[in-house]
Amino acid sequence: MHSVDFFDARIVEGTTTSIVLDNGKIEQVAVNYTKGAGVRALCGGSWGFTSADGDFDIDKAIASASELAVSMNDKSPKENAKLKEIDNPSVTDLPKVKIDPQDISLEEKVRHLQEIGSYAQKDGISSSSAVYSESAVKVTYIDSNGTKGEYDLIRTGFAISAVASENGVYQAGRESRFGVTGYEIFDQSNAEELAENAANTALELLSAKPAKGGSMPVILDPELAGVFAHEAVGHASEADLVLEGSSILENRIGQQIASPLVTIIDDPTMHAYGYYPFDDEGSQARKTTIIENGVLDSYLHSRETAEKLGGVPGHSRSQGNSKPVVRMSNTYIDSGNSKFEEMLEEIRDGIYLIGSRGGQVNTGEGVFQFNAEKGYLVENGELTGLIRDVSLSGKTLEILNNVKMVGNDLSMNSGRCGKSGQLVPVTDGSPHLLISEALVGGA
Amino acid sequence: MYELAQKGLKAALSMGADEAEIFIGEGHGTSFDIRKNEIEGAKESTSQGLGIRVVINGAVGFASTNIMSRIEDTAKNAVSSAKVRESDPDWKALPSDEKYPNVSGIFDTELKNMELDDCIKKAIDMIDGAKTVSNITVTSGNFSRGFGKSLILNSNGIEIEEMGTTVSGFVDTITNKGETSTAYDFEISRNNDIDFEIIGKNAAELARRSQDAISIDPHKTNVILHPFAFSDLLDSTFVPSIDADNVQKGRSNLINKLGEQIAAENISIIDDGLLDGGIETGRSDDEGVASQRTNVIENGVFSSYLYDSYTAGKDNVKSTGNGSRSSYFSTPSVGTRNFIVDVPGSDIIEDTEEGIFINTVIGAHTANGISGDFSVEARNAFTIKDGMIDKPIKSLMISGNMFDMLKKIDGAGNDLRKVGSTVTPSIRIPDMSIVG
Repeated sequence: MHSVDFFDARIVEGTTTSIVLDNGKIEQVAVNYTKGAGVRALCGGSWGFTSADGDFDIDKAIASASELAVSMNDKSPKENAKLKEIDNPSVTDLPKVKIDPQDISLEEKVRHLQEIGSYAQKDGISSSSAVYSESAVKVTYIDSNGTKGEYDLIRTGFAISAVASENGVYQAGRESRFGVTGYEIFDQSNAEELAENAANTALELLSAKPAKGGSMPVILDPELAGVFAHEAVGHASEADLVLEGSSILENRIGQQIASPLVTIIDDPTMHAYGYYPFDDEGSQARKTTIIENGVLDSYLHSRETAEKLGGVPGHSRSQGNSKPVVRMSNTYIDSGNSKFEEMLEEIRDGIYLIGSRGGQVNTGEGVFQFNAEKGYLVENGELTGLIRDVSLSGKTLEILNNVKMVGNDLSMNSGRCGKSGQLVPVTDGSPHLLISEALVGGA
Repeated sequence: MYELAQKGLKAALSMGADEAEIFIGEGHGTSFDIRKNEIEGAKESTSQGLGIRVVINGAVGFASTNIMSRIEDTAKNAVSSAKVRESDPDWKALPSDEKYPNVSGIFDTELKNMELDDCIKKAIDMIDGAKTVSNITVTSGNFSRGFGKSLILNSNGIEIEEMGTTVSGFVDTITNKGETSTAYDFEISRNNDIDFEIIGKNAAELARRSQDAISIDPHKTNVILHPFAFSDLLDSTFVPSIDADNVQKGRSNLINKLGEQIAAENISIIDDGLLDGGIETGRSDDEGVASQRTNVIENGVFSSYLYDSYTAGKDNVKSTGNGSRSSYFSTPSVGTRNFIVDVPGSDIIEDTEEGIFINTVIGAHTANGISGDFSVEARNAFTIKDGMIDKPIKSLMISGNMFDMLKKIDGAGNDLRKVGSTVTPSIRIPDMSIVG
């Protein structure tokens, strides 16, 4: 039946529960149970892929993917693709769940979320929302070389947002924590305090002034610097983008591309939201140093790109039944030894940018743009006025070279990253960074 | 499909639901990814699943699954999730008594039955189109073709089944000689009427024309936004404010603004669920309310919010047919249908002495969806001199506020384009801030 060179299958089965509160009122309670499979087959240089939902027949799915691969190889033959050989993955260090969320009743979860959400309902807050989600998944992997792996993983998390309004001006604050932990995430992250923080951010932004744009020295807080590490550097280090010619990091391995203060790591073994024991093509998860002391050390690889470019696989992921692509996991700029106070002293006059409302990057040209949640003017080494609607943009390599100080205060933030239409859980983080020159956009 | 839905409905009602609704979605798709001038492989996907919404004492519960045999368990989960909620005084009822209009141009047998060979040929056409321009590489791209079916059944007698097809093409190109520049282009349609070669050619030419870019100083000038750039900004900064849910929750810039002049006089915006061949066209919305045409802005005057049946019940008005689900596993919420921007057009570039033309923006989703403030990076931007596109610009940020912008719009192109479900021409705004 299989005149193909390789096939593999990933079966994912899981239950998710989500609760959405709006101004303390339940807006949605939903339970979802799904099962599905993603099957790949390789013939020559062509991939066939089949995804199936619900009650599927795995042999049929493998046959259908194989048929696609064979017929693609007939119709548009190309250079043979080879995959890096891998050992059977070992699953030894799964995160320990203290309180299984499935043991807590839906009523209790709703009550708990309402209590946490109430901390965001301060005077001046016109609306607030709180979201809880939990998922329990079982992932099974097999391939035609006999590789086998299986694990169960629980993810939980919550997000609180608050909107303040005054004279037609609206400002929002948001805090969230997601992780590979059980129901204990609420206690571990001090949810009540986070809810208050979200409200406080929204309230203080009402009186913040819009920023004045221009080129200037900036300090990035750990959240925004983490977004930079992920968006601008992490994506450009994904080997599939390197191979297709849309990364500025192509042909740069071994070169000094950043200030020697900069080390950037992607570590799926870290027990954070981007954790996995093996990736979605069966490769053991491994910590990968992308940039070491300013020198580009490694790209992130799938089995195919690792074989082609020479590297170690372990960064190929997929959402649900989709086809795996090269992805990040937990990405961070490693701690340095500067204190935040020293950075203020050094920068003298500039802007301190805090938090992130998302961003985008063009990895081919190496340009990026992201919006900070807020910022402070720094005047004469002191934080002065609060500013809003402020964004950072520039060229990735210039920013990497303009890093003048790296803080000693690494912290991580959880979120989801989109690529090829698929969302996967990730974290990113950094200590505070001082950048000697960057383009700040304002209103 | 129909029998299964009937079974789910019965199960939910027998477990104590006062009202119940079954939504079943099914999809079959074929797609090809392009990597570095080659088709990487073929993908086939089938998806199916069902969502059950139940109402018990005015409290709504929801559960979903893609294991059709588990329909009764799912009904049970929906019932227990309703039971943890208190009665919602704003809940009125699931839709009933709908008369469905006829729509056209959303199902093409040719697309439904398209053979693998034909699909491959179209993907190759895109690559060949790009190759007509020298020194260009197609870095990535995609061809997709799909057929979908949905069925909505509720205990108030709603029964509506729909079918549709879509086809789309996308390419990202980069120059491989001289200065590095990139550009993309895409098309999506319900019918087999896309010229795929043109998609490749357009993207390639734009990347090529964007080479040897100049730097410019910060200033204020006329900005013309291509349909790609304008629709992207409109989605992030205007659409959230007309969503009745945001309005009811105090998260909109348009609260109490009905009947006010919020845009220049010659601007109208229509939300149209009936547009011939529209991406969001259908006889009903995703909760069984008949589709309609809604004037959102009429000659500059703000005329309507968009409602699903829940938010409409809360305001004691009729749903505008904007109940939208991203999938069978989500509950309906307010979403736009075909969103049409209607501004009288002219040869807009020719009519512009001096200014800037922007093809696409990055970072629109980071804009403030309530206030309408945005600050985005412009891509494939060009200076305009004496009514002609002049030089490409290296790096450029534009910032502003959508609501100020709507009042200032002073022209549009003749280049009306379907950007997914948004239909808009190029739009000109005078006196915009740009930072080079």
